[in-house]
Amino acid sequence: MEQATSEAYPYVIEMLHITKEFPGIKANDDITLQLKRGEIHALLGENGAGKSTLMSVLFGLYQPEKGEIRKDGKVVEIKDPNDATALNIGMVHQHFKLVEVFTVLDNIILGAEDTKLGFIQKKEARKKVKALSEKYGLAIDMDAKVEDITVGMQQRVEILKMLYRDNDILIFDEPTAVLTPQEIEELMQIMRNLKAEGKSILFISHKLNEIMAVADRVTVLRKGKYVGTVDTASTNKEELSRMMVGRPVQLVVEKDEAKPKETILKIEGLSVPSKLHKNDAVKNVSLEVRAGEIVCIAGIDGNGQTEFVHALTGLEKPSAGKITLCGKDITKASIRKRSLTGMSHIPEDRHKHGMVLDFTLEQNLVLQRYFEPQFQSHGFIKFDAVREYADKLITEFDVRSGQGPVTKARSMSGGNQQKAIVAREFDRNMPLIVAVQPTRGLDVGAIEYIHSQLVKQRDEGRAVLLVSLELEEVMNLSDRILVMYEGEIVGELDPKTTTTQELGLYMAGAKRQDKEVKAE
Amino acid sequence: MKMRRFLNKDGTRSVLATLISILIGLFAGALIILIVGLADSKLGLDEAWKGIRLLFLGLFSKGQQAGSLIFGFNSTNIGDMLFRAVPIIMTGLSVSLAYKTGLFNIGASGQYLAGTTATLFIALKMNTAVIPPWIVWILAFLGGILAGAFWGAIPGMLKAFLNINEVLACIMTNWLAANIVTWMFEGSGLQCTEGTKTQVIWKTTHNGVATAKMGLDKLFPDSQQVDGGIIVAILIAILIYILLTKTTLGFELKACGSNRHAAKYAGIKDKRSIVLSMAIAGALAGAGASLYWLSGSTEFHWQTYLSLPGEGFRGIAVALLGACNPIANIFTGMFLSTLDVVGSKLSFYTGYNEYITDVIIAAIVYLSAFSLVIKTWLSKKFKAAEIKKIPDVLITSENAGNDAPPVPKNKGKEGNEK
Repeated sequence: MEQATSEAYPYVIEMLHITKEFPGIKANDDITLQLKRGEIHALLGENGAGKSTLMSVLFGLYQPEKGEIRKDGKVVEIKDPNDATALNIGMVHQHFKLVEVFTVLDNIILGAEDTKLGFIQKKEARKKVKALSEKYGLAIDMDAKVEDITVGMQQRVEILKMLYRDNDILIFDEPTAVLTPQEIEELMQIMRNLKAEGKSILFISHKLNEIMAVADRVTVLRKGKYVGTVDTASTNKEELSRMMVGRPVQLVVEKDEAKPKETILKIEGLSVPSKLHKNDAVKNVSLEVRAGEIVCIAGIDGNGQTEFVHALTGLEKPSAGKITLCGKDITKASIRKRSLTGMSHIPEDRHKHGMVLDFTLEQNLVLQRYFEPQFQSHGFIKFDAVREYADKLITEFDVRSGQGPVTKARSMSGGNQQKAIVAREFDRNMPLIVAVQPTRGLDVGAIEYIHSQLVKQRDEGRAVLLVSLELEEVMNLSDRILVMYEGEIVGELDPKTTTTQELGLYMAGAKRQDKEVKAE
Repeated sequence: MKMRRFLNKDGTRSVLATLISILIGLFAGALIILIVGLADSKLGLDEAWKGIRLLFLGLFSKGQQAGSLIFGFNSTNIGDMLFRAVPIIMTGLSVSLAYKTGLFNIGASGQYLAGTTATLFIALKMNTAVIPPWIVWILAFLGGILAGAFWGAIPGMLKAFLNINEVLACIMTNWLAANIVTWMFEGSGLQCTEGTKTQVIWKTTHNGVATAKMGLDKLFPDSQQVDGGIIVAILIAILIYILLTKTTLGFELKACGSNRHAAKYAGIKDKRSIVLSMAIAGALAGAGASLYWLSGSTEFHWQTYLSLPGEGFRGIAVALLGACNPIANIFTGMFLSTLDVVGSKLSFYTGYNEYITDVIIAAIVYLSAFSLVIKTWLSKKFKAAEIKKIPDVLITSENAGNDAPPVPKNKGKEGNEK
């Protein structure tokens, strides 16, 4: 590996040959990362590739066994986050570290308050924050409480926190995972502004589109090892994904023409009350899903998709409408009844609904089937059968974990948790699969896998109802697209003939098909 | 290596942690005895030494001769200890079961009182001349269980249907129970007072409904109190252990306690599970009361029950000390009742009065409850040792497929020394 040169120093931060071990695993194995002054440098890798560990080393949360960190060419020792802050390194964490009941301004100055005789000088602070927010185009409401503002604004608050502390090395840890497409676009622009002002940015992500859009250079990690650093100008998504996963990845799902057969799911006039306001969250929705097709409900988050799925799967009660599954009326059926009638459900929130995090992997894998005669007799669980079944699913779906079937679900990576849920739901072989954002927060390899599995399920004759916020996923995967806007289905589109732009117009509510038009 | 694997087991750590915290508690108790002994001119070092010996060996105290303590097997002590362990093992189980299913049952006292009332009324009001006493015993026992279950189900239902915190609801039901019970015995005309005594009701030996001794009186011939209750309690503890770890019902209850939303998603009736958990917890506390009063060894004196029975709260100590493991609760219950015996020995054979004895016992219980802290500490300690000594034996599936060379030894040490 090339060492530092003596000429005018281009690198603001260098992490050279970093090695960090945990019991039984090398999280970082001889990793080198060099951040140029004034560049956006992406750090790319699958879940568990060692990105977070490397950043924790930079932030002083872990001490590496080997390697050194240099700032402007000088070796520095970072023992704790205070050292990192002193070196003007700031970080926006994936899960924001804000005090919910404090105002935006209070959050920004928290821990770096200017005081006079023990009194906080808020006026000065307000001026400084205002100047910063105008300079970088970070629109915020300084007097709003953090709990009341959107996720996008919370992120801007986090960015302002770093700027307020005059940080010039900014780390963004998976910043887009929680944002809507519009907010992502805004964030990209903010990052470009920051770069234009001379800030150096480390951008941790596994989303190739975003990296190609904003980053200048990319460092790729795989399984704790350094793979390489490339210029985004001279690479493409295919090459990056190959570096990241270690094999060629299909970014576009290959699938044949759907051959839809009998109707599996029929929904007529479904309305669901909203928990937030008086109006219905879902209004008079009717749709059909047939065996052997993937129907996708597209839409911007918060347009009634969640409530719709909850009503369909039994987690919430609809106020009107009828749901028929495999010819049986399940409108009033219990969750268990629906599930046994023929429904698999990959839930939107895998931590809230998908898994019992304190249970082991094997317990989670039988969460929907523990009561079947295969796994119990007279109310006693057959542990051997459970273990055998779990081992089978773990192998079949390549679910990775520290201790196999007895791993606590909480300790598994998000991607593998999702794989476990997918394994559990697919293996039940139900005629209908309801998959809600099945690839949220997953890396390319896992997304490819889940997409191909969904297509496989379709080809095996199951009906798939997919709810997704990702335009690309919608266009790639579905055989029919239904667009949901403010609780209504505003259009049915054919992914082969429509464009992303048109879909976007429907999703934003700018365009809608009338019922009559649809009927033609 | 075998030893290390044994030490690495979660269960081993729990047991070790409990034992260590008990030891810490006992030493703290000894320290208090010493300090009080030295500070009080009436006591002095000799009394303190006596007290410390009693603290550790009180269960085997055989009295004293010419001012010096004699130790040895004492069947009275052990029999009494077993008898007193029964109700707190049961309330401990009650708290443990609720805890394992995600609920904090602070209402064991109220459930215990509900069980007390039902049991005593059934046992004393039934005519044993007509119905055989053993049937009355069973009815009284079941009555106690049902009453406790009902009293536990109330906070359960409030939690399940109205989302009211079970701790608050339990505190309410505790005091409701305390006052209802007093009214039942005193104001309702359903009195079963013994002769001219006021506020004291018959022992169950009065009409022959007392619990069978099941041979334990042969084993501990001098104990007036010991009876089959302890055997029933141990059996129930084993049953609860099986329920929690081996059955689908236990799976459902634990799933619901750990993540109500995920349980609901998986088709488990979450509301039913919560009510059921609290009902079973209540049943256990009620059963504890039944076994205690049906023993016939002690008489119920309800005036004192305007305050809440201590069994309910000591159940929390029993449960936490045993890391909420039903089997461990048998032993932690016995430990706490041993302390009871120790306490009485202390005030009997030494100059320490009963109040300071209570302080000492309380300190031990308090420190013993640190078992969780100690367990975390143990885990950390072992983890550190793993990094230093055996990094190459722990191959996880994550790196099993990796072609990474075995981690060289001592690397962790170097890193730490930097």
